[in-house]
Amino acid sequence: MPRSDMPLRAAARPSSPSRRAFLIGAAGGGFVMAFARAATVLPETSATTLIAERGFEPGLWFRIDIDGRITVNVIRAEMGQHVGTALARILADELEADWSQVRVSHVDTDPKWGLMVTGGSWSVWQSWLPLAQAGAAGRIALIEEGARLLGVAPDACIARNSTVSAGGRSISYAQIVQRGDLTRTYTADELAKLPLKTPAERRLVGVDTQAIDIPGKTTGKAVYGIDAQVDGMVYARPLVPPTRNGSTVVSVDDSAARAVKGYLRSLTLEDPSSTVPGWVMVCAESTFAAMRAADKVKVTWRNDDTATLSEQDVLDFGRKQFADPTAGATVVDDEGVDAAFAAAASTLERTYTTASVLHFQLEPLNALAFEKDGRWEIHTGNQWQSLILPTLAKALGVGEDRIVMRTYLLGGGFGRRLNGDYAVPAALAAKALGRPVKMTCTRPDDVRFDSFRSPSIQRLRMGLDAAGAIVAMQHDASAGWPTQVMVPSFMPKGKNDRPYDPFAIAGADHWYSVGAQRVRALSNEVANRAFRPGWLRSVGPGWTNWAVESFMDEAAHERGVDPLNFRLALLDGSGRNTGSAPNSVGGARRQAAVLKRVAEIAGWGTPLPKDTGLGIATTFGQERDMPTWVACAARVRVDRASGDVRVEKLFLVADAGTIVHPDGALAQMEGAALWGMSMAVLEGTRFENGQVRDTNLDTYTPMRMADCPELQIEFIASTEVPVGLGEPATTVVAPAIGNAVFAAVGARLRHIPIRPADVLAALKQSA
Amino acid sequence: MFKRLVIALLVIVVVGVVGLAVLAYRPALDPITPPARTSFAAELVAKGEMLAGAGYCATCHTAPGGQRYAGGYAMTTGFGTIWSTNITPDPQTGIGRWSEAAFRRALREGVARDGAHLFPVFPYQHFNQIDDADIKALYAYFMTREPAVAPARKPDMAFPLNVRALQAGWKLLYFRDGAYGPVSGNSAQWNRGAYLAEGLAHCSACHSPRNALGAEQLDAHRYTGAVVDGWYAPPLDRSNPAPVRWSEDELYAYLRHGATPLHGVAAGAMAEVVHGLGKLPDEDLRAIAVYFAGRAGAVDDAATAAALARALTASAQAAQPAGDAGARLFASACASCHYNSAPQPLTERPELGLNSAVTAADPSTLIQVILHGVGVDAGLPGVMMPGFAHSLGDEEVASLAAWLRRTRSDQPPWPDLPRTVAALRAAPTRSAATAQR
Amino acid sequence: MSQFVLNGHPVTLDIDDDTPLLWALRDALHLKGTKFGCGIGFCGACTVHVNGRAIRSCITPLGAVAGQQVTTIEGLDPDGSHPLQKAWIAVQAPQCGYCQPGQIMQAATLLKDFPDPSDADINAVMAGNLCRCMAYLRIRKAIKLAAAELKDGSSHA
Repeated sequence: MPRSDMPLRAAARPSSPSRRAFLIGAAGGGFVMAFARAATVLPETSATTLIAERGFEPGLWFRIDIDGRITVNVIRAEMGQHVGTALARILADELEADWSQVRVSHVDTDPKWGLMVTGGSWSVWQSWLPLAQAGAAGRIALIEEGARLLGVAPDACIARNSTVSAGGRSISYAQIVQRGDLTRTYTADELAKLPLKTPAERRLVGVDTQAIDIPGKTTGKAVYGIDAQVDGMVYARPLVPPTRNGSTVVSVDDSAARAVKGYLRSLTLEDPSSTVPGWVMVCAESTFAAMRAADKVKVTWRNDDTATLSEQDVLDFGRKQFADPTAGATVVDDEGVDAAFAAAASTLERTYTTASVLHFQLEPLNALAFEKDGRWEIHTGNQWQSLILPTLAKALGVGEDRIVMRTYLLGGGFGRRLNGDYAVPAALAAKALGRPVKMTCTRPDDVRFDSFRSPSIQRLRMGLDAAGAIVAMQHDASAGWPTQVMVPSFMPKGKNDRPYDPFAIAGADHWYSVGAQRVRALSNEVANRAFRPGWLRSVGPGWTNWAVESFMDEAAHERGVDPLNFRLALLDGSGRNTGSAPNSVGGARRQAAVLKRVAEIAGWGTPLPKDTGLGIATTFGQERDMPTWVACAARVRVDRASGDVRVEKLFLVADAGTIVHPDGALAQMEGAALWGMSMAVLEGTRFENGQVRDTNLDTYTPMRMADCPELQIEFIASTEVPVGLGEPATTVVAPAIGNAVFAAVGARLRHIPIRPADVLAALKQSA
Repeated sequence: MFKRLVIALLVIVVVGVVGLAVLAYRPALDPITPPARTSFAAELVAKGEMLAGAGYCATCHTAPGGQRYAGGYAMTTGFGTIWSTNITPDPQTGIGRWSEAAFRRALREGVARDGAHLFPVFPYQHFNQIDDADIKALYAYFMTREPAVAPARKPDMAFPLNVRALQAGWKLLYFRDGAYGPVSGNSAQWNRGAYLAEGLAHCSACHSPRNALGAEQLDAHRYTGAVVDGWYAPPLDRSNPAPVRWSEDELYAYLRHGATPLHGVAAGAMAEVVHGLGKLPDEDLRAIAVYFAGRAGAVDDAATAAALARALTASAQAAQPAGDAGARLFASACASCHYNSAPQPLTERPELGLNSAVTAADPSTLIQVILHGVGVDAGLPGVMMPGFAHSLGDEEVASLAAWLRRTRSDQPPWPDLPRTVAALRAAPTRSAATAQR
Repeated sequence: MSQFVLNGHPVTLDIDDDTPLLWALRDALHLKGTKFGCGIGFCGACTVHVNGRAIRSCITPLGAVAGQQVTTIEGLDPDGSHPLQKAWIAVQAPQCGYCQPGQIMQAATLLKDFPDPSDADINAVMAGNLCRCMAYLRIRKAIKLAAAELKDGSSHA
């Protein structure tokens, strides 16, 4: 779940099925099983009527056909997390379904699905209870009806593998669907009393299986957005303007492009939604003709001052914000922070920065748009359909009900496709031409249009008393805020009543007991104006934890305390760090447990070869509301001559509660950990004069196989609520590596990515 | 006084012009009625075909995409551009009305049927070593080709370089006439190799540096390597810096197959050379190998093993790219095809640590290959490399080349790489392996 | 006009010789298993075989493969059950899957050249194939599994 966040934190919470009714009704030859919309449940209305009228709750429903095939509708985008498999397993387990009969359908947009978003590592966490409840309700109905058909009491029956049996007799789910009357309505109370299986009774959840989406991905048959095509479509490549928000087209000269065979014309887009200001679309009869012609079209733009802004301006602005005590939203603001600092015997203050990071999802941005029978169709891979639909409606000047987004596999999401801005230029061009338009970005186009991870700057302060105990801590973080730029209405308010982007600050509100604490989230207006900050796998926790965990290490070394013991002492689970049901049962003590375990498997404290060091770090994943406890130990070898940091091995331990699809969970941990490492030592760019510096793989250098360290990953066995796994490992690796470099050669790095030159500079300083 | 001086000068000029005219004068040979194809024996034509291949006549006498032997191929020299001529038997624009004697004179003396002097881009100084029997076969071959109407194009050279009569002066200075005579004391095999290499195959035309007037250097610089048409023809003597010294077997394998694991793949013009020489029987290729093995000097097996080990150790570094930009580029774009591991590099994976392109004094060949790739029709049949001209900027190609030079050879750095890359990028290319953008 | 043999069948295309093979495959022949990633030969998503060896189709002009044998992921195995494809499923290598056709095509050449590849061999040869989901360890594992199966298969033959 490559990727993160989403707006409505409230909407992110797992639904509470106890307040809803459940329906089973005949539909299209089989039965649909779904939660009823609260408002539509009336005692006298039959389930079948309600289902026919779509009176069911969006998002979570499935059907059983007369051949026994079970189709689970999934609103989540498939982008490598095998989400359909995990979600269907939750349901199928409670349903006692024959797994080989289960299919997953990734649905197109429809108002009936409600909020469609895939991010925040939320998919399993949000769907767990409702899916389990739905499966249980279905199972009970099938047992009751099967018992009736067999002429036995329901109590005498058991369900297994899509079959109800009693004594020596049995009847399949298919037969029950064909012959029985499954129509049911469960009231909220009944539903609440449905017995869910105990962990010991689970047959699919927690058991490995092959992901449904994988075979097609080995044969070339899997269909991604870039593969979408319709007859008569025009191919287009954009000319991306010099700035994200501040460019207007002055003139377009396509005289040279006209020599390109297949070139049609260049369109200057008029965009009522202001999503793609200053865009020109070069249209042709093939992708390659569009690409080649675009190279020959000369556009003159007029740019605002953002064409002169650079990464340094973003960081300088952040420093100014730190200096202003009234700036920003306070996310944590304990009584007496200032007094505690004033009274502290000593203070420690450090500043940390992180560079701009590109999504570089391997499938370049693309979209196919056309109008058919009065309805607009957008064919593309997307993570947050509900966010872009209103924008598309505005751009096209039609109602949202006139637009449908067809669903495709995503050739990588990582948060880039939460922001569906790339659908807009295709739609506008299709409207202007009156023909289907397929836009395919070249890689440099894709990168220049990226809503990349904002650079960040953070200042951390710690107050200590005379005995060396921590009495106060303040964390100020400034970065571009994706949520402010793209969905400001979804920002919660801080203690001082100012809105903030939760995804840009989560992580700073850590589970260490540090006395009086303040966390200040600062919206970097230079960043917000100069580019479109994006959500990128783990978002804020990718930088806040870099700061927190590097700082904890520095504090431990300042105090002369072992960094492991230093942390364990602070993870005491006291006060607000006690944890609460259902999501954070155990609180900071569970974080301490993963940290201890990782230290154990990594051999913390045992001697290592020269210039080799072990560093540790621990985080709670994405957010306090759904902590995935995770810890990492990184073993690195530093070449003092070249400054090269070779990451030899990463040890990770995670406590994510119940693990639904263990191998899929492991794959997410592997990918997330390596992303973390890639951003720590391999990849990063700089924003320079309105653009990112690196636009392709000749200079942008994400991890390749040869860079891959050894990985050792463990999950803590748990039956707690399943939380997220797509991002947590991303958050913990960079500080572990930074701390390992310090352990290896005594060089303290406060910026990622860590480049050899930075190591050499830090070595010089430490010498 | 002044008048006298003018007269004296005039006399000198007149004498010079007359002298040159006398020196340059070659009679036209009578045109003939084009002979019927059937007048040439099939075995003779077949032999001629083999020899024409070994002389890679088609390389220069065929324009890109044009009919074979119809000429029109542009040769860029330091003196201007010269286009090759039509050597199909078309009566008007080709050699259809040339007698065998006229054909022989052209090969031996660099004089056309009409008496005009040919420019020395046509290697008559080598072809004059070809014996009569071979010339007869070549004549039979060319006179039986499909005639093409293709008039010669005038050379693009400034006056007075374009004055053909002046070529007589050049010949006076540099041309040495004489058919090949066996070197006594050397084996018959060696002599056969020398006859082919020095005559028909004209190896020295590319592999020896030329002097200011475009003549091959025949002294100690002979076979010490040269840049030709934007490619570097490496030395064929002891100064060849290939990590594994060229043995008779390696030379033979390279000429026979177009590639060897220890030296790499013939590319550029050399690809056409090996295709042409490939038409010769094994014993002839073996003879050429014997001849050049003698020039290249003794091979030390221990040194070969050491060079091989060094190259493979360096190749293995690709599995762990360090922070260097060149290393990163190599790992990302090159290692998938060029990585090798012990005990032996594979022919299909040209090992750059053993490749002359990396150890050569001049980086042109390496840069050409990076920019424009290698076609399926080059030295290693069916194996191609796409060019990176549209993928990499000049600085990037330069950093890749510099990194290879530093880590895969023991030679000093190449100077001025980015400029060389820019120049070669701007020059026309014959490679078909570059996607255009 | 360009002719070549695609997955065993001759094809003729009336498009410019300098069109990259990738776009000829995707746009003109509608074979979409070969993916576009970077366009400069640095990601490997577009890897196909020319005469049985992996090349990057995004920088290979159509003219360069005239008359040659081109194999795409769709033609690697008639049933999609090449030992590599089976191994890919067995170790659950793909995440988003976008790079995997290219990875598999590159791995096929790897195994031809290095039938019993070491980690270093795999790292170096596969370094040109970017996996943005970073499923690298599984890809490496799948390659070794396929190598073992190929070896077993040939020793029983």
